[in-house]
Amino acid sequence: MTTAVSATPRTSRPPRLSTTGPRRRAAAAVAYLVLALVAIAFLLPFGWLFLASVSDQASLKADVPHQLTLRNFADVLTGDNLHALANSLVLSLGAAVLTLVLAAPAAYPLSRYTRRFGRPILLGLLFATGLPITAILVPVYGLFVQLELLDSIPATTLFLTATGLPMAIWMMKNFMDEVPIALEEAAWVDGASGFRALLRIVLPLMLPGTTVVFTFTFALTWGNFFVPFILLVDPAKQPASVAIYQYFGLHGTASYGLLAAFSILYSLPVVVLYTLVQRVLGNAFALSGGVKG
Amino acid sequence: MVAVDLPESTRPAARRSPAARGRRAAGRILPLVPAFALIALFFLGPILWCVYASFTDVALTGATASTPHLIGLRNYRRMFADPAFGQSLWLTVVFVVGSAVIGQNVGGMALALLMKSRHRIARAVVGAIVVGAWVMPELVAGFVWYAFLADDGTLNAILRAVGLHGKSWLYVMPLLSVIIANVWRGTAFSMLVYSAALSNVPEDLLEAAAVDGASAYRRLRHITLPLMRRAVMTNLMTITLQTLAVFTLIFVMTGGGPGTKTQTLPIYMYQSAFKFYQLGYGAALAIVLLAVGGVFSVIYLRMMREEI
Amino acid sequence: MRRQWALVMTAVTVAAGLSACGDSGSSDGKTIKVAYQKFGNFIGADELFKKIKPVFEQQNPGVKLKLIPIEADENSYYTKLGLMRRSKSTAPDVAYEDTFFVNSDAQARFLMPLDDKLASWPDWSQFVAASKAAGKAGDGHTYGVPMGTDTRGLWFNKKIFAKAGLPADWQPKNWNDLLTAARQIKAKVPGVIPLNVYAGKGVGEASSMQGFEMLLYGTADKLYDDQTKKWVAPSRGMNDAMNFLKTVYSEKLGPTQQQALDPHWSDNVAAQELPQGKLAIALDGSWLPQGWIPGGVSAWPDWSKTLGTAPMPTQNGQAPGKVSLSGGWLLSVGANTKNPDAAWKLVQLAMNKENSLFFYIKGTQVSVRNDVTSDPEYVKGNPTQQFWTSLVQYTQYRPAYSVYPQISNQLQAATEAVVTGQSAPDKAVNDLAGQIKQLAGPDKVEGTS
Repeated sequence: MTTAVSATPRTSRPPRLSTTGPRRRAAAAVAYLVLALVAIAFLLPFGWLFLASVSDQASLKADVPHQLTLRNFADVLTGDNLHALANSLVLSLGAAVLTLVLAAPAAYPLSRYTRRFGRPILLGLLFATGLPITAILVPVYGLFVQLELLDSIPATTLFLTATGLPMAIWMMKNFMDEVPIALEEAAWVDGASGFRALLRIVLPLMLPGTTVVFTFTFALTWGNFFVPFILLVDPAKQPASVAIYQYFGLHGTASYGLLAAFSILYSLPVVVLYTLVQRVLGNAFALSGGVKG
Repeated sequence: MVAVDLPESTRPAARRSPAARGRRAAGRILPLVPAFALIALFFLGPILWCVYASFTDVALTGATASTPHLIGLRNYRRMFADPAFGQSLWLTVVFVVGSAVIGQNVGGMALALLMKSRHRIARAVVGAIVVGAWVMPELVAGFVWYAFLADDGTLNAILRAVGLHGKSWLYVMPLLSVIIANVWRGTAFSMLVYSAALSNVPEDLLEAAAVDGASAYRRLRHITLPLMRRAVMTNLMTITLQTLAVFTLIFVMTGGGPGTKTQTLPIYMYQSAFKFYQLGYGAALAIVLLAVGGVFSVIYLRMMREEI
Repeated sequence: MRRQWALVMTAVTVAAGLSACGDSGSSDGKTIKVAYQKFGNFIGADELFKKIKPVFEQQNPGVKLKLIPIEADENSYYTKLGLMRRSKSTAPDVAYEDTFFVNSDAQARFLMPLDDKLASWPDWSQFVAASKAAGKAGDGHTYGVPMGTDTRGLWFNKKIFAKAGLPADWQPKNWNDLLTAARQIKAKVPGVIPLNVYAGKGVGEASSMQGFEMLLYGTADKLYDDQTKKWVAPSRGMNDAMNFLKTVYSEKLGPTQQQALDPHWSDNVAAQELPQGKLAIALDGSWLPQGWIPGGVSAWPDWSKTLGTAPMPTQNGQAPGKVSLSGGWLLSVGANTKNPDAAWKLVQLAMNKENSLFFYIKGTQVSVRNDVTSDPEYVKGNPTQQFWTSLVQYTQYRPAYSVYPQISNQLQAATEAVVTGQSAPDKAVNDLAGQIKQLAGPDKVEGTS
């Protein structure tokens, strides 16, 4: 167990052997080429979205617009939409933070001591998260009416947290399993509590995994339509995932230009979050390296 | 006091009083309480209700909305008697294996490996594009792919530009179309999981193996993958459960058609729960959907155990 | 360390406690709650209730009107409405409701019968008989006041007709006239789709209502016999309707199979095929101009110059000669309202002459009030409005039973089998009859052929 971590400090990498140099460089070139191709392949379907968002007469056809216009973006940047995005942010950040705060301590004992007894419960709950909301919306709505929690953003956040928790705990536990126990043993011997060990040693070491859980919960909540739609009444409390419906109409018609512009606006925060998280991750390596070294 | 104790494996076999042991157990369980309390409050009841509802004829409107009856196994019998159900089940399995187990899983792993130790900017750009596909609202992702694959869509326009003939993709190969769309949409998650896991694989081990002359493939096969086994399983189970529930993407692209060629279980269930408002039957279908997820998970867990 | 855990748990509990602010002003009878759909550019109901809120509150001192706009597609709207009605404290006092669900919502005991109130409402005599019937459930009671309707018929492109040598005032007298015109267009104007009749599951209910049922109701048969209270299948009329579809698709007078089965086909017809002159005749609905008017999703200034309208003829021109089907919405009163009088006053206010006119114009609705129909304000701005309104006297509503959506689904599957050539028309009809028997129960179905 200890062999994997008792490593030479990251800062002093041994100089590479000359024979592997050119081969590595060739491999890197191939990797960049493949990455470029993947990026293009992933970008192509977006073509319609970008074209439609700047087109004055967008349809489901990927036409080059007759006239480039930013009017769609100007039109979707309304106070109501920004308000909806702010609601999304409150719901998603709230659920993601709460999920981490609750999942990390729960995952710790499951990873470290209570495997046998915890695992069946956890797996059971995990499957339950696969239950489509359509199957449980009647009791959930009933529960919210009973507890008088309807139309409350904090309660909706709690519900979203609850539905995301099994998956989050499970992912956290598995990431935690990867962190060798030997490091905590040292801390325990020094008299640190379980909580301290978790906070100071385990979590920093599994920061990459933690960010995955955070991003995952955030993105999942961000895109959730049905839960806020059912549990919130006041239109002013609805998030962007519900607000997007204003660009559709009866009989299946939609204002595709506005829809495209709104979608881009709607997706940006999560892309930004991802980029930020990636930067934090970059710093995290240094941090965990320090612990390891 | 919260668990301070060392794990069994490392602690010398010390004798303790039952009371101390009890306190210790309580201390270990305590951190689980807030999370599980929240789950119990909001989630347990609804799950049990769903199981119960699958044995009733409860509906959202009509006579059985206010006075549902217990009808035993009738929902399940009706389900198994419906040939459309068997087909939906099969399509769901193909969709999950094709788009999650193969597409997203392998694609995400490949991307993570390719991006490892590449330049920061390259990682950021490729990552943002791939993640952009993931965070696109599912509804919009459906329209994006419809517009891409439609008769006069982007793909056919590109093919025409290079002198090839396009096809009515969504008509000729509907299942493959929705599978590819879902790979596009979901690969980011696997990429994130595997990138995180890769960062835990000690660089020095790989360096040492490289110095010993192990090829890149051998390093991947014998060092990286075994160390990532747990991440692979985490990922497989997560994306399987996610993919099982994919509805909007398929619904917008093909509406489950042409005919019933892309009518996976969620689409089939949508009809009963949302178009026909039969909640009881919808609940029974949901239970089956869970069972499918269960079967997949058991397979993953088995595979995992054999590896160890 | 325990303190830290306690902190976390307290935070959770406090958050749960704080959030218990609940649903305000529910069941004291002092607040009337009205729930309605607000969807995309379809904001007529929202504007209507915003307009009358101050008026209502002034006329009814001490009573507040609470608006609950629900922004979603029809299925999601209806799901949420159904959920709200399951609890007495959240059930709306007045709701905007698809005529189609009146029957099943009455069965679910969500609605209050309005017979007595309507009998003493002078305005009720202004409503067209067919629309009154739409609010009547199987139990004979009337549960709602219609908010307008839609009708269905033929749109045709006069420019394409000129090229094909067809008159600009074309009025087909029977199905054969329709097919003849389509064949003539196919021969003389290559590259356009001569005739679009929806079929298959892709476009969903459009395929049942604008397609198969518009044909079936032009034969001697119907889908449901109100006298015997039974579904009619198989029938000669069903066979003939299927044969018509087969002719259209096998002679390539219609769209390709790929187009017809595309879930976005009905959207494409309105937004692309008709405006771009690629479709000559469309069997479609009165609401299409909603997208073409200035500010619509696919604005088309020339639409009224380019397009003509004609009623869908009956099969052999038999009386009454014209066919139309209608949907539409109504206002209903909740069965558990604490203040039925105030709720009813709101319905009366919302659907009086002035406000009906307001809603018809905002929502591109076809009028069901005689006094509004004759109002010059009503036809201003939409040259085809008079035509679509004239169909109201011929129009019919779908059999509004809770099993209909499933039967409709089977109808769509049957038409798909026919237009793709998988089944011959008579086999498709026989299979369909079998499915209807299974869904409705064998004793609720009678065949006529």
